[in-house]
Amino acid sequence: MLSVSLGATKCGWVRWLLLALAIAPAALAQGQMQAQAPAQAEAKTEGPQAGPLDPNNPDVVLPAVTAVPIFSMGVGMITAWQGGQPNLEPLISPVGLIPIGQKWLIEGRGTFESDLIPDPRGPGWKGYLEKEADYVQVDYIADKYVTFSFGRYLTPFGIFNERLYPIWIRNLQSDPLILPISTGPSGAGTGAMLRGGFNVAPKAELNYATYFSTKLTTSPFESDRDWGMRAGIYLPGPRVEFGGSFQHLLQAGHSNAFGFHFAWQPPPVPLDIRAEYARSSNGSGYWLEGAYRLSQAPVWKDELRHVQVVGRMQEYYVGKFEDEDDDLPMVNTKLFEFGLNYYFRDDVRFVSSYGRQFAAEGGNANVWTVGVTYRLAVPVGRGDAR
Amino acid sequence: MSARRPMSLPIFALVCLAFLLGRTTAAQQSGSRVGAQESAQQKLLDEGEKRFHANCGRCHQSPHRFPPRMVMTIERHMRVRATLTDEDMRAIVAYLTQ
Repeated sequence: MLSVSLGATKCGWVRWLLLALAIAPAALAQGQMQAQAPAQAEAKTEGPQAGPLDPNNPDVVLPAVTAVPIFSMGVGMITAWQGGQPNLEPLISPVGLIPIGQKWLIEGRGTFESDLIPDPRGPGWKGYLEKEADYVQVDYIADKYVTFSFGRYLTPFGIFNERLYPIWIRNLQSDPLILPISTGPSGAGTGAMLRGGFNVAPKAELNYATYFSTKLTTSPFESDRDWGMRAGIYLPGPRVEFGGSFQHLLQAGHSNAFGFHFAWQPPPVPLDIRAEYARSSNGSGYWLEGAYRLSQAPVWKDELRHVQVVGRMQEYYVGKFEDEDDDLPMVNTKLFEFGLNYYFRDDVRFVSSYGRQFAAEGGNANVWTVGVTYRLAVPVGRGDAR
Repeated sequence: MSARRPMSLPIFALVCLAFLLGRTTAAQQSGSRVGAQESAQQKLLDEGEKRFHANCGRCHQSPHRFPPRMVMTIERHMRVRATLTDEDMRAIVAYLTQ
């Protein structure tokens, strides 16, 4: 009886043990699922680019590294002929980006360029080196609505000066005639700025910038004393942006200036359409540009997909012309330009254009440009794992 | 003398069934969680590609690949320069670093 009892007891213990072992995985699975996200996050981090989970969305994995400083540089060699007069315009534009923590960024861009013309006294070219501190600013991304910027910043009047100015971005190498309107003596202001972009509707984004600048006369940091603002609405669906700018000068003249901008990239077509209008007491004008990448050409696809065709029409009308330092045309001017760009890569391209300028007082001229632009960007540091 | 009886067939079947059920449940739940994450991640990548072309493509040719550590800096720069929204930046970073 004893052995039977023992046997029965042992057999029952084994049964319960087997049952427990069998059920354990299910129970463990139930329990573990409650705390599964961190474990899976760790698993994800085994990948070379996977990091922690996004605190705003636990189903999304962030990159494993932190931001590192970047050194970037645009290099260009442009040759222009205006009315038969050749100009060599070599240009180097270094850019530095230094991220600090999760919300700070120190950034700056300088430009070294020369405008060489044939030396009338002999062979060779003569000219001088121009040095510009385009911007040197500290940015603090406060939240999803506001970013604070301090220092020397590109004046956010219209879209060309801030977004399209670099030679490796612009489609035509010549500046729009109205660019000097309200961008100050050097395209930059010195002071503080609030800016940001956020969704105001499911399919609409609002972007804005408001700034105050003080007057500086020290080269290469010249700026006007003024305040202003720019606001725009961007519709990501049709890829349309439109907006306006305003600026009030707080020094001699105390004049106002305003402008409008428009950009459209119809999604199915590799076409960029951009336009700006600006008006100040010095003058007014507009430019309208279309650029078409031949990536959808039915023939010679491999070659033509590198080609971009550009056309731009612009007009400028002289106003009271109070400020002689702002590089605006002295007479009413119309200019039509046609350009062809060839992208060897997305960062190396050959650029060319022909333009016909119609200006009062015999200022009609042909304007040709040929050149090469290149942009490099390299990290400075390896970045920390997070 | 009573012979030790082996585990009866019904009990053995019950053990096996429970074992299989447990394994299947764990796999299903683990799989559904991983599936949800992969789905969310893929959705973000698709959204990132769309937002990359809609925002970055307005000024830059695309796509240029940078190391993730550079992407984190470039996006912060473009957050300021091009007034990208927080959502744009998050999706574009995911797309460019995947």
